[in-house]
Amino acid sequence: MTATQTATVLPAPASTPRRNFWRGVVRVLRRKPSRMAGVVILVLFAFLGVFGPMLYPSPLPRDDNALYAPPSLAHPFGTDFEGTDVLALVVTGTRYVLLAGLATAVITVALGTAIGLLAGFHRGRWDTVLMRLTDLQLTIPGLPLLLVLSTVWKFTSPLEMGVVLGVLGWGGIARAVRSQTLSLRERGFIEAARGLGLSTRHIVGRELLPSMAPYIAMNMLIAVTGAIYAQVGLFFLGVLPFDANNWGVMLNLAVFGGGALTSAAALPYLLAPLLAILLLTLGIVLVVDAMDEIFNPRLREE
Amino acid sequence: MTESSSAPGVRVRDLTVVYKTPAGELPALAGVSLTLAPGTITGLVGESGSGKSTLAFSLLNAVQPPGRRSAGSVEIDGIGDVSQLAGDDLRRVRGRQVGYVFQAAQNSLNPLKTIGKQLLDLGRSHEVADLPALVRDARALLGRMGLDGGRVLDSYQHELSGGMRQRVGIMLALVLNAHLVVLDEPTTALDMITQATILRIVQEVHRERGLTTLIVTHDMGVAAEVTDSIAVMYGGRVVEHGPTTAVLGSPRHPYTQGLIRAIPRLSGDIAEARALPGRPPTLGTMPAQGCVFRERCPERREICDSVDPAPVAVGDRRVACHAVEPAPASARVRKECA
Amino acid sequence: MKTVVRRLAGHLARGAAMIWVVTTISFVIIRTIPGDPVRAQYEKLIEQGMAPDQAERATAALYGFLPKGSLWDQYVGYLNGLIHLDLGQSLSTPGTPVATLIGSAAKWTILPVLGGTLLSFLLGVTLGVYAAIKRSGRLGDALAISGSLLHGVPQYVIGLLVMAVFTTLWPILPAGGPVDIMYDPGFNAPYIVSLVEHATLPVLTYALAGYGGWILAMKSSVATVLGDDFILAAELRGLRRGILFRYLARNAILPLFTILALSLGMLFGGAIFIETIFNYPGLGLLLVNSIGARDYALMGGTFLVITVAVVVANIAADLLYAVIDPRVRTGGAA
Repeated sequence: MTATQTATVLPAPASTPRRNFWRGVVRVLRRKPSRMAGVVILVLFAFLGVFGPMLYPSPLPRDDNALYAPPSLAHPFGTDFEGTDVLALVVTGTRYVLLAGLATAVITVALGTAIGLLAGFHRGRWDTVLMRLTDLQLTIPGLPLLLVLSTVWKFTSPLEMGVVLGVLGWGGIARAVRSQTLSLRERGFIEAARGLGLSTRHIVGRELLPSMAPYIAMNMLIAVTGAIYAQVGLFFLGVLPFDANNWGVMLNLAVFGGGALTSAAALPYLLAPLLAILLLTLGIVLVVDAMDEIFNPRLREE
Repeated sequence: MTESSSAPGVRVRDLTVVYKTPAGELPALAGVSLTLAPGTITGLVGESGSGKSTLAFSLLNAVQPPGRRSAGSVEIDGIGDVSQLAGDDLRRVRGRQVGYVFQAAQNSLNPLKTIGKQLLDLGRSHEVADLPALVRDARALLGRMGLDGGRVLDSYQHELSGGMRQRVGIMLALVLNAHLVVLDEPTTALDMITQATILRIVQEVHRERGLTTLIVTHDMGVAAEVTDSIAVMYGGRVVEHGPTTAVLGSPRHPYTQGLIRAIPRLSGDIAEARALPGRPPTLGTMPAQGCVFRERCPERREICDSVDPAPVAVGDRRVACHAVEPAPASARVRKECA
Repeated sequence: MKTVVRRLAGHLARGAAMIWVVTTISFVIIRTIPGDPVRAQYEKLIEQGMAPDQAERATAALYGFLPKGSLWDQYVGYLNGLIHLDLGQSLSTPGTPVATLIGSAAKWTILPVLGGTLLSFLLGVTLGVYAAIKRSGRLGDALAISGSLLHGVPQYVIGLLVMAVFTTLWPILPAGGPVDIMYDPGFNAPYIVSLVEHATLPVLTYALAGYGGWILAMKSSVATVLGDDFILAAELRGLRRGILFRYLARNAILPLFTILALSLGMLFGGAIFIETIFNYPGLGLLLVNSIGARDYALMGGTFLVITVAVVVANIAADLLYAVIDPRVRTGGAA
């Protein structure tokens, strides 16, 4: 018996030829134009994240004659308290937000998948201990814990931020991956592979993970959204030093730095980062919706 | 209790029920006609997807969307054409005049209320003035079925076994004195002993209360045990309908013959039991014209490809098959319907 | 009843474990903060001419544990203080026990959280039933979409937008604080009006932030129950519409009650953003301010109380379930 024969037991995504997959992607995107919009939004933000800081001089120019200037052609979203262009702040802040989001997602998914697989695969005592740990992680109020942690660790760089958020956020994925593993086990998946003399590494790496990959990928995107909210929120609360250029810093200065909320003219300074958050979320939600349909054959057939 | 003369007759005529699907409206029942004689137990037998549940629901005008009745009528003595009823008129017929008993495996009771409270809900819905009397009736009925009525009324669904739930279902269907009762797979998912008990109860209560009963089942054995007549359904049509002993003893339709051959017998050689080849058609695979059974039929002939056979009287039964010669009713000995 | 007691015991054990973890985190953090505030405080008092044992006691009163001895002794002392409900003294409001500050902040959190959550629960659940029944209608669609949108947006975005609309663009409500200081506290009309005015925006934000989740949860719950056999069975028994609706609603709302209890607990932590935005003096703002003021005893105490709220909510949710679901109450299989 060879490994290729076991491939037939696997759900479709793992064994479908690549070209077929891309054709499915194109068809799903075409069916609802909003999904195309989601992809466009994400591509735009990715572009801003990579090239955004190169579009503007560093440090950003200030215009002392135009503090809290209203929107104009030169400043589409007005200027802030120092006369800096708000749009430029949003654009240059994208890199941090995305980088921290991605770092969080990678760590969340890696930890969550590893722990969930371990618990589901070994069951028994391992399972009990790991799931207790997961429950604990899920029930300890996360935001207060982040605030408390911020007193000892100024995780200002995007990667550090990602590590902290990731270490505090793997519980949901771990639980989901465990239950997926258990359900695959129940279907005789693992026993069948064992019977074929496959090693544990092969079973996990070649059989279990591929069949769960779409599911994990979707969770990863959702984790990115959560991470974006959390980091922007932390900066907004002002518990971290404002070394970084982040949308949350803008929100904090707009609300507590005075000005933005006392006159309607300065509102764009507050609204621009909010709009950026909403747009990015929308993009992610639309893409998750599309992924759901690509990877879920039941929805596809409709 | 009520005298048996009040048992109603039921006449289903040319009933067509279609289901809305992405491929258009497909018939689940294609011009079905079926008569239930007053005071008899009729078994409605067929594989899943044959339309037997749809037909059973039609007796209460309760075909579930996306299905709808597109033609035909369902006449019940004392009620009229059920398929024309709607709103409160229809609601009053359900439960009060036609009782429906769900499959035992399904949870047909509200999990959050005791049986007694659900009984009172039933009474209030049907404007029963004397609720204490209703409770007394229910207790007596449950007692008749071998249960401790008082205890059962104080119980929640999850505290009852499958067989007990099924008896509660029968009680709720009968307690308002309905004389037409539809039982949908009443013994599926019950163990053999409970199954036998339920069937005995159905038979006894049927006789004592003077009911007209329709039992929907996929189990020929169940039908053989309790029914007076059997209607066999295939692909949304009644292909054979006649007295139980006649249908079981000398099935005429090739499908009925196949069904009976497929029953393994305790005393016989297991090799004699032969499954029908092929699969029953689904809504989507139903042939648009000709006989729906022809793909699996050992007696297929040319006409079967183009003409859907109409049911014809063969002796004391009706059969829809080109291979069966219509014969005058007098040519055969009429079997007694108990 | 036995099962309920067993479940309760399990919850208490898990809750105790969680509180222990949280207090340990607090302790470790206070001990590892750069500059060691406990040590620094102790030394400062000595420098001021206080006798060592007196300084020790004063520091212990502040942080809940002695600055001397092994780390383990300090840890035991800290836990011992907590067991006696001694959370230490606040540094930013000298001379005030942490417990007092938390107690007075708690009422500003509990009332708006309770009000906002109940409001969103009632609204979301009612509209959720409608959205589920009229699934194909335009209004049902619109309700579901509004739910998904509000559910997907973080609380602080909603709070900031509410603030921008009602205090800047259309300034009809006060922007911050719990009440105008010019009125005498007490049971008099102007004071109460001022209280309500100040609470309106936070409550509105809680309600908007919660509403989306409730409408989605109720919609899917109703859709599930609608597919249950007993609803069809009840219909075929000819039950009245009103009774049918009650069967449907009660079964659909059941799982939501536990989420309600849980979310009330979680909101104690979630109140951080909304209280910061509206400068509302509840537990969340207390936590943020304690961090800003480097008041570590207050920080540890607030964190602990927020955690306890989650634990209590967990237990409450479970007990509530046992009360309203006979299947749990009598220990049957669900």
